[in-house]
Amino acid sequence: MSLSSLPTAAAEYDWGIVWDNRSMLLNGLVTALEVSAVALIISMVFGMALALIRLGRAPFSWIAAIYINVFRGVPALVSVIWVYFGLALVLDISFSVFQAGVIALSLLYSAFLAEIFRSALNAIPKGQKEAGLALGMKPVRIFFSITLPQATKIALPNVGNMFIGMVKDTSTFTVIGLLEVVRVTQNLVAETFQPFVLYTAAAALYVFVAFVLDFLFRLAERTLDTPPNGALSRGLRGRKQRRIQALIDAQPSVRPSTAT
Amino acid sequence: MRAATTVPPTQHDSPETAGAHAPRPAGQPVVELRQIRKSFGDLEVLKGIDLEVHKGEHVVVFGPSGSGKSTVLRSINLLEPPTSGSLKVAGVEYGPGLPGESGVKKGKPLDLRRSVGMVFQSFNLFPHLTALENVCLPLRSVRGVKRDEAEQRSADALRRVGLLPRAAHFPGQLSGGQQQRVAIARALTLDPEVLLFDEPTSALDPELVGEVLSTMREVAELGMTMVIVTHELGFAREIGDLNVFMEDGVVVETGPRGFFDECHNPRTQKFISAVL
Repeated sequence: MSLSSLPTAAAEYDWGIVWDNRSMLLNGLVTALEVSAVALIISMVFGMALALIRLGRAPFSWIAAIYINVFRGVPALVSVIWVYFGLALVLDISFSVFQAGVIALSLLYSAFLAEIFRSALNAIPKGQKEAGLALGMKPVRIFFSITLPQATKIALPNVGNMFIGMVKDTSTFTVIGLLEVVRVTQNLVAETFQPFVLYTAAAALYVFVAFVLDFLFRLAERTLDTPPNGALSRGLRGRKQRRIQALIDAQPSVRPSTAT
Repeated sequence: MRAATTVPPTQHDSPETAGAHAPRPAGQPVVELRQIRKSFGDLEVLKGIDLEVHKGEHVVVFGPSGSGKSTVLRSINLLEPPTSGSLKVAGVEYGPGLPGESGVKKGKPLDLRRSVGMVFQSFNLFPHLTALENVCLPLRSVRGVKRDEAEQRSADALRRVGLLPRAAHFPGQLSGGQQQRVAIARALTLDPEVLLFDEPTSALDPELVGEVLSTMREVAELGMTMVIVTHELGFAREIGDLNVFMEDGVVVETGPRGFFDECHNPRTQKFISAVL
């Protein structure tokens, strides 16, 4: 759209159309969030697997490294065109636009999350694994009971950032016709000729989502605080501590010789 | 210590002659190292270590930093697998074996570690778990004990080290000395054949050393077989049934109780007089 065709006076901006079309815009937002959330779950599983392979033995670690470096470099727009049109063309596999969006995001964000998980796993002191081994625990058990819970807490803020990035990347899926925020906005612009108003509304929606997601991930981070800190954390995790306290109280008298 | 290479295995039941004060226990040793060697790249840190630890014995390993003390200890539970040499625990062979000696049936590292406990210099408690859960986790995952019983046994173990009131605390809320006592309780609940201590007081504030040593003393009095790497020579002199002085990856001199006053090697004497 050329500048000369833009409305010149503020009076010509019709902000009312945002409210009039709120349900369409919000539906677009819900679609964007759905695609992102499904892709986040898939990416976390694959990303953790990639991180473990990357930290493991050659030549598998090289393969993981190559995957990570390739897919970190592919833009979401290219990824989704490739998945939706490319796979249909070459292998005759056709996905729905929703599936294509999920796959495109998962391919990219598995690579990003793999790096996040790798650095989180590396941040756990070596002594933790050694202590588990010295106690005779199996490596799988050490991973799930000792390494993973500690790594999750370290990785969580970065996973939150990735999720915000994923929601924003769904905007490129307009090219395959997914009815997300930008697609809805484009359709409304075609009807109303109010691009400035509608794209401003779209931007506001993305920013709002980013704020909410940031808040939610901070909350999740807080609940993992050790020791439990704050009402939410204590509510969710305090039960265990109260049970232990009850067990202590039920014990016969504490040995008197050791004052602590 | 009489190096195992100089004492044929058939003579293990004969009366010990090295200990002038107290004869060393006879019979099958709980831990037996023969010619343990360990290299990190080109650097050989253990140059053929022989050591026998008998049931109920308290072995103290000391020497300057970098002498290989910790590596010896860590080879006993294969956290640091030897490059060559024979490691036998409770009658089962685990090491790579002596040169020329092949076909010996080897045990699995997992089984070895389930009969050998270890206490680390840096405690290595799991920071995301409470003190009780730290003790409980290996009981449940290694011994398969049900939750209620495991918690009861963990509470008992914490009471023994005087930390029952702190059972619901996280490691970050405990002092270094308290953390180390939880670590000792954690290792003890698994009923190990032998308990290894890797400089258990080196990371502690001086005023907290005492409480850990007194816990160790109590563990020793229970008859636990212990191998202790330490710089606390005062404690070593008091507790050591067998004292091993190491330097540059070799055992320089060993001796029974009274060793600290009667050692003969000038290097050992110099080290002891510098530290004690």
